[in-house]
Order: sequence, then C-alpha cells, then structure tokens
Amino acid sequence: MAKIMRINMTDRTYTFEAVPEQYELLAGRGLTSTIIHDEVDPMCHPLGPKNKLILAPGIVTGTGAPTSSRISVGAKSPLTGGIKEANAGSGFPPSLVRMGIRAIIVEGQPEEKDTYWLVHLTWDGEAGEPKAEFLPADEYLGKDLYKVFPKLFKRFGKVNIAGIGAAGEFRYGNSGLVFDDTQGRPARYAGRGGLGAVMGSKGLKFIVLDSAGAPGAEFADKEVFDKGRKKLTEALMSHDITKPKGALNSYGTAVLINILNEAGGLPTRNFSSGRFEGAAKIAGEAIFEGNKERTGKELYNHACSPGCIIQCSNTWYNEDGTEMVSCQEYESIWALGANCGIDSLDVTGKLIRLCNAYGLDTIEMGTTMAVAMEGGLLEFGDGDKAIKLMRKVGKGTPVGRILGAGTATTAKVLGVTRAPVVKGQSMPAYEPRAVKGIGMVYATGTMGADHTQGYTIAPEILGVSGKVDQFDRDKADLARGFLEATAFIDSTGHCLFIAFAILDIASGFEGVVEECNGVLGTNWTMDDVGRIGKEILAKERAFNEGAGMTSKDDRMPEFMKTEKLPPHNVTWDIPDATLDAVWES
Amino acid sequence: MNTIQIELWLYGPLARYAGEQSQGSYAQLNLELQAGTTMRDLLEQLGLPPEERGITFINGKLAALPGLDADLDISLQDGDRIGISHNKSMWPFQYRFGASQTKEVQETFRERPDRGIHHAYTKLDE
Repeated sequence: MAKIMRINMTDRTYTFEAVPEQYELLAGRGLTSTIIHDEVDPMCHPLGPKNKLILAPGIVTGTGAPTSSRISVGAKSPLTGGIKEANAGSGFPPSLVRMGIRAIIVEGQPEEKDTYWLVHLTWDGEAGEPKAEFLPADEYLGKDLYKVFPKLFKRFGKVNIAGIGAAGEFRYGNSGLVFDDTQGRPARYAGRGGLGAVMGSKGLKFIVLDSAGAPGAEFADKEVFDKGRKKLTEALMSHDITKPKGALNSYGTAVLINILNEAGGLPTRNFSSGRFEGAAKIAGEAIFEGNKERTGKELYNHACSPGCIIQCSNTWYNEDGTEMVSCQEYESIWALGANCGIDSLDVTGKLIRLCNAYGLDTIEMGTTMAVAMEGGLLEFGDGDKAIKLMRKVGKGTPVGRILGAGTATTAKVLGVTRAPVVKGQSMPAYEPRAVKGIGMVYATGTMGADHTQGYTIAPEILGVSGKVDQFDRDKADLARGFLEATAFIDSTGHCLFIAFAILDIASGFEGVVEECNGVLGTNWTMDDVGRIGKEILAKERAFNEGAGMTSKDDRMPEFMKTEKLPPHNVTWDIPDATLDAVWES
Repeated sequence: MNTIQIELWLYGPLARYAGEQSQGSYAQLNLELQAGTTMRDLLEQLGLPPEERGITFINGKLAALPGLDADLDISLQDGDRIGISHNKSMWPFQYRFGASQTKEVQETFRERPDRGIHHAYTKLDE
C-alpha cells in the first residue's frame, strides 16, 4: 500500500503514514494542493516553520503510461503569498512511485541557521518499506549544480535527485526545485513561485532516491489501464505536434517563437512591444539549423524524463560541437532573449545554463533582467552584462539578491512601473494584450501569472453549442473550463503537452481517464474531468482567500490597460467584471 | 498603381524558397508584386506547394493553419507583412484564443462543428 512520508526538519525524523481515506483518489497537484489546504495556515510566513513543502507524483506516474513522469511540488509561495504548484518531468517521480510513496511532506525547520541536510532514501527489502538517513550537506552549498550533480551520482550511484541551488539557499523569491533529467543534468525544474526557497528554509538541500529493489506501481485493474494507455499512446504517436519528428520533437517548444512573433504576441524589451526583430534568430528552427551546422547532423530532441513519447527537450551545442546546455525552451529563450532584446542563442544558452546552475526559474529571471534593463542597470540587448549580472545573482551580492527576489521586487526597487506580474509572479511568453484568452488565465488563475494553468479544456463541455465560436462570447466560461481541465491533467502525472493530442483526438482524452480508472479503481468518465478540476481549484482559492487574496488580485497590471502594444496597438480591454465572472458562476 | 510591395518572412525549411536570400532557418524578402496578387498566386510564384506550409499570417493576423487554408483567395495589399511557416509549425488553441485573425479564418472557424478549438486540422479532415 502506498504511504505518505512525513519528514520533520526540526528534529530530522520521519514517519510513513497510511494514505487517509479522503486522499485515496488524489495525486499530483490535487494532492499537493489538498494537503496545503488542510495542513498549512494560509497566514503563515512562507519561509517559516509552519509552511510545508509537498512533493507528489501523479496518478499514473511510474505505471508505464506515456509521458507521465511528472512530479508536483506545492507550498505557500514566497513569491505570490498564495498557494503554489509547480511541476517537473524527471526520473525522480517514477522512482518515488516504485517505492510506494504517494507524497513527501517536508515540515518544520532546524533551529540552527544555515545548516543543510541531504535525505538519502533507499528501499529496505527486509522491512518492505523505504528508509531514510539524514546526512550533512554543507559540502554542496553555494556551488554550481552542474558540478554538484556528478558528485552526488559518484557518491550514491544510480539515483534520482530533487534539490535546490544557491537561489534556494538565499531564499530567493525566484528559486525552483531542481530534478535530474534523463542524462543526469540539473536541468528539470519545478521552477515557478519560489519553491526552492521553501525547501531551503527547511534546511533541506537534496533528496536523493535509490529505488533499487522497490516493488513498483500498483493497479486496481491493469486491463482497464492498458486499454487507456493504448488509446493515449496512439493519439500521441499520430498527432502532428506530439508524434516522433513532429513539431515538438523537431523544433522543441521554441517552435512557437516565430509564430507568436508574427502574431504580435511575443513580449519584447520588457513588454513594450509584441514583436522582436531578432526573433527568427532565436527560434526553434534556428536551433535545429544551428545544431546541424555545428554538429554535422540533423538532431531531433530527447525525453526530459523516462517514458516520454513526445521528446521535446533540445540540446544546444557550442561552435566546436560540444554541449552548451539543455534545454533551450520557448519560455527560457523568450525571457532571456526577446524580452531582454537579445537575439543570440549562444547568449540565451549561457544564461539558461546559469539559471540551472544556480537553481533559478528562467521565466522569472528573464522578466527580472528586462526590468533591470528598463531600470538602467544595463542596456537592452547587452548579453555580456546580462551574464555578469546573472553571476551576481548566483553569488548573492546585494544587487544579486534584489534581482533574486523577483520581477515585482526589482521593479519596486528600481522605480519601474512596467512590472509584468499578476499576484507577484511574472508573466510568461504570451502577451495578454495580443492574446486575450491567455491573459484571462494569467489574471484569474490561482498561481499568479502562469501559462500552464490553462492548457486544455474538456471537449464535451464545449459541445456544439458554439461556445468558442467568438472570443466576444462566453470567455469567462471558457477560461474556467481551461483552468479546471488543466488542474485535472496536473493531477494525473501526465505532462501538459499531451493536451495538444487529446484536445484533437477524443479517444486520447478517454484514454487518460481510463488509465486513471485502471490505477485507482474508479469509474470516472469525461464528465468527471471538470468536477475534479473544480474541486482542486476550490481548495486553492480557499487557501488564497485565507491568505488575504480577493478578486482585486485577479487583475492585470495597470500599464497594460493604458499602453498600446505594437504592432496591433492594442491595450488590455477585458473588463474587470468579465474576469470576476470566471469565478462567479 | 500596378504593383505593390510586400514584406515576406519564410520560416524553417521554407527558407529555401528564398534561394540565395535564405538565412538557413528563415528568410526575409521584400517583393514587388502585381496589384491584385492573391496568396495563391504568391505561393505559386514562390514555387511553394500549399501543403508544405503551415501557420500563415497576414499583418499579424492568423490567416491559415495546417489543414485549414482560409487565405488563398485573399488579395495582398501594398505594405502587407506576410509570414509563412512550415507544416510542422504549431499554435496551440490556448495561445491563440483571443488573438487577431483574418475575417476569413473567423468565418471558417464559425462554420466548423468544433468552432476552431483544435490545434491541428490536417488529421481531422482526413
């Protein structure tokens, strides 16, 4: 039977608890958000002893379901002051499932300041459950994660790692949890919302997992599961976006750069334009061609985590053919490239590598850097200075610490009014003035500005009623539909990118529901997707309300309502009442 | 006026249709065309088969998607910026919901039973 592991960092003890009955059907985001809702005082200080850090793999993670090796990480966010879930793909979550761990709850806080520990978790064959030891982690502090990860693999063997970099040790509002990718790089992040700082505040530097000998995932009905898995696999293998050598496997997520740029929706130079003249030089197509030139081969992308069919992670190579960084994602290239006026993949590659080395969220870092540029610390487009400034963030110099606090704080310190944030978290790479639908998700979602909150919609709630016919009609319903269906997917353990296939191929969506039934023994249908998502969002919203948030926090920054965005010269013109309508019905 | 000037961007493998002006992963061309040239005419002049192209923009407005050609009869105007991407291009629904589109795309979506919520249309129409 799967257990919940509770790690108490005050006295460095741990327990395994049976999964409470009311949590039996919960996993991933559904479980992290429920535990935070049930156990964390919403008024607590995010970096104090009362906050808790929750790690939970999804419902079908570790089962062999395609593209499902995701882990949700949750806590009260030091960046937004509200609830947070960020997730990452890695070998770590399937290993947790193999060991029968439904969730890890990290709580308490050591009395000694600046002492850090590593939890080494192994399978105890005799006891038939995992066991943990707490080891001092001082030797890894303040160091480049690209140097630390190989040391951990050398010391502990074939393991999976969750941890923090210097950013988490400094308690930055911009700090993520790092996980190992399939090649052991410190490159997969639950990046958003400052969760690394929460882990750091617990004195926990790494969780190292060795699942050798552990039994593996459990199924309520393997036949039902297999039927669902087959349907989803077929959908992913045949859809133009997700299939082998399809859009994502060929060009990565950065295939969107040229598209959003043409659409006038690629935020440029701190959200002062929707089009960047250098966009084509930093697009997915430029990565593909650039790598071909540098390595002499046509390179397709790799899986970030075990069992992924889509395989969208790229590697960028230096001119001499050696590896520079993995991965140059759309969001990362945009944030540290177009949004900073930088049109070089070698510069974005270096900046992304530094983010990975220090434990920073690339989106928050790029938007912060752009605010620093507007605030006069450096010029837009100055890659060399950006790299120097990034190193200060990693070292924790006074200016580095200000930038590490995030975009909103940096804008306050520098007196910059153009701060592209909602609920204290910076916006990703879709200009809401040009793409209004995503703006509604930024504004009304529970996580602050976050594009991954509104990823898909259960097709049956659209039906043939014409609800999505025109943007002018029913947009509040549609935004809510997005938020709900996405909260469900975030709970399954599937990567959100399955959404591309399952929105177009209905049997794929059915397959996801059937996989869940096969694992949990439920009889869910497509009609349950919205209900499950709604229940998760209700808990998240209740937590945020307890933390003091109101509908006034579901708003876009003022400058977007008054400054016209080129090239379409549009402002954010969705009335506040429409935003409020998302949650009023 | 008998001729018009347009700015054309070709992305990914389509850059080769710009010949020597290809930058490898993209091409930017300034073209002089006969007044009244349609998108169909432009593709023909470039020697670019419609099935090789994907998401297409006219002045930042979505004009066509893979499997959904809604722009072939549009007459190009002086000063237009045309962006043509390849058939592996994508623009997921959630990131184009509420974005600018041509009235032809709007009408095409309105006529479809799915109302245009999909990411790709090639497979759906097969």
